[in-house]
Amino acid sequence: MPTHETDVCIIGGGITSAMLAQKLSELRRGLHVTVVEAGRSIFDVQNRGRYRERAAAYGEHPWHDDYIEDQQASGIISMTMAVGGLALHWGGACNRFSEEDLRLKSMYGLATDWPLDWADLERYYCDAERRLNVAGEPGPYLEDRRSAPYPQGPIPLSYNLQILKRWAEQSGLKFNGLPMARNLTAFDGRGGCCVYDTCGEVCPSGARYSPDYTFRQLIAPKKIALHDRTLVRRLVLDDTRAHVAAARAVHQDRPDETVEYRAKTFVIASGYCWSSHLLLLSANSRLPDGLANRSGTVGRYMNGHRFVSATANIDDQTFPGQNMTHSLISREYFRCRTDKPFVRHDTRVWESSAGRDPRLRGPDGKLLLGEELLADWRSRTRGSSVRLRAYVDVHPSADSRLTLDQSKKNRHGDPMPAIVHRFDEATTARTAATRAHVLDVFNTLAKAGNGRIVNTGEGDYLDHPGGGCRMGTDPATSVCDSFGRTHDHENLFVVGAPTTPTGGCTNGTLTFVALTLRSADEIARGFPSA
Amino acid sequence: MRRRTLLQWIASTTATLPLHRLRVFAQPRELTPEAVATLHEIAPTVLPASLGAARIGGIVDGFVAWTRGYREGVAMAHGYGHPRLQKTPPSPVPGYVAQLSALAGSARAKGGAWATLDVEARRALLDEAFTKAGVRALPPRPAGQHVIADLMAFYFRSSEANDECYRAMIQRELCRPIAITTRKPQPLR
Repeated sequence: MPTHETDVCIIGGGITSAMLAQKLSELRRGLHVTVVEAGRSIFDVQNRGRYRERAAAYGEHPWHDDYIEDQQASGIISMTMAVGGLALHWGGACNRFSEEDLRLKSMYGLATDWPLDWADLERYYCDAERRLNVAGEPGPYLEDRRSAPYPQGPIPLSYNLQILKRWAEQSGLKFNGLPMARNLTAFDGRGGCCVYDTCGEVCPSGARYSPDYTFRQLIAPKKIALHDRTLVRRLVLDDTRAHVAAARAVHQDRPDETVEYRAKTFVIASGYCWSSHLLLLSANSRLPDGLANRSGTVGRYMNGHRFVSATANIDDQTFPGQNMTHSLISREYFRCRTDKPFVRHDTRVWESSAGRDPRLRGPDGKLLLGEELLADWRSRTRGSSVRLRAYVDVHPSADSRLTLDQSKKNRHGDPMPAIVHRFDEATTARTAATRAHVLDVFNTLAKAGNGRIVNTGEGDYLDHPGGGCRMGTDPATSVCDSFGRTHDHENLFVVGAPTTPTGGCTNGTLTFVALTLRSADEIARGFPSA
Repeated sequence: MRRRTLLQWIASTTATLPLHRLRVFAQPRELTPEAVATLHEIAPTVLPASLGAARIGGIVDGFVAWTRGYREGVAMAHGYGHPRLQKTPPSPVPGYVAQLSALAGSARAKGGAWATLDVEARRALLDEAFTKAGVRALPPRPAGQHVIADLMAFYFRSSEANDECYRAMIQRELCRPIAITTRKPQPLR
């Protein structure tokens, strides 16, 4: 069996893996780090402009073969499995959570507290923002104070967003531009933003951060080794100790040959789905419920946030298409008074063309041709549409689970994961009140600026999912400590999204990265400095 | 008995033959010169006359180039939230050729070339064709349901048409300095 010896074996090749590998290579020069990723490397940045054009013209996926057809989960939010992971095509939003997220139990008697202090996490937010080169500005709320400035100034508000900010702030809420991992000028081998406006699909200039750049920077000078197209199927325990001795994998081109990775430290950086999955798959005669699962909480407390959205029509004139991927955010409702019913959410505002796009038929059903169609379109462009959305803080129950689906197996015979999200009783009990609150906020926004809400909707999945390996101080109710070190196996870490006990009420990626950078410090402490 | 065996053999054999490939070979892979001519003839009816003949001709040429660049069976975006694998469908070109031929035939049946029909007659022909093809709305991008609806989508969904509609240089999704977006878009020249 081919065997690779390494100091640190990182399983998974997404954004947390990239950040962890980068920081370890800085903290411990000469440390041998091997990243093992099931998907392929898509490093052809020179072709991304063309891929983007074909995506726009033909609907083709700009990330060719970024999935493994038989390595999929039910309940998963993206099929992407490649070096870079979901952050190949994330929007780049870099919001922080707030202190309330870490103190839900002690402040509100809800869910659970995170086992770390806000001040501690805040330092790592700064580190994460520096590495991702986040463009942002200090928020208008005192509670959002920062210990370091953003590495870049804010993304300039488009003319449209300037109009919408004035409109939205008539409600009394304070807004600022969304902080984003988007280069304003060329930086770190990536180009500056030229408003292709397809951040969430593909960024031809590389202005929007994606982990493939970091991996390429680490691989070229041999700071790390990357083994792509290699699926880790099992973690194997040492015969005599609770240490993980090896990760057993298989390369896509040699499915009948097991490859073994032996390391002093193993880190699972496989995201909210595949991290729990690997631990459960690694069950053996000594640990029939899987690794790191003495508490029985592996695959439980799967979290994320619900979302409520709306479209408002307002009188102010905007010009849709200026910078549709940038937005405004208000953190007014990140805080909730403890003497009021609990509700937490962010409030986001985008330019929009909803209801104002060209249409084939007039209101009487008559087919519109040529100049008629253009005139009809123009007649509907007075005023503006505004897209509104709130990510709502909801808390998982223990039954919010990832399980192994024995009826669905990959080519190797491994059962695939199935994810079903469930809320705890308190969340379920306040669902209607939360929705009513959010819609009331939207209505207040609209009315204050002489507008009106024309439609509302709710997402039917949880966005920015996490959980499954939640951190905690009690080994009986959590999988790992605040550094991601599993309670049951001293040399096994889980990092990023899976370790979060709750999903917050805003985009999660920056938090996943910050937690991972904190883990990196702890992992490095296990290796002497050169 | 032997006859039944023979029939069974023919049925099973033909079922395994790649007849669909033969069908594909028999179909046009590119718009025929006649189809392109019909497209040019119909385009001034469905695209804004204010663009002028040269620009309308250019849009048709761009659409024809789009059909040439089409690739079948390529993975499409698998989406977020509820992802699923989809491939680009078979080339729309054979359908386009048939639809254009049918429209030209319908125009002849109404008494002559497309250009000689009055606008309501043209509208009626297109309305009937769209209904038959199941086109209910302007597609987000050319989607293969009907060639004329797709030509309209090709233009009206473009950044250029957005600018024309707002009479402003918004330049949606075109690479440009971010500072430009902070100002009210300049009027379209």
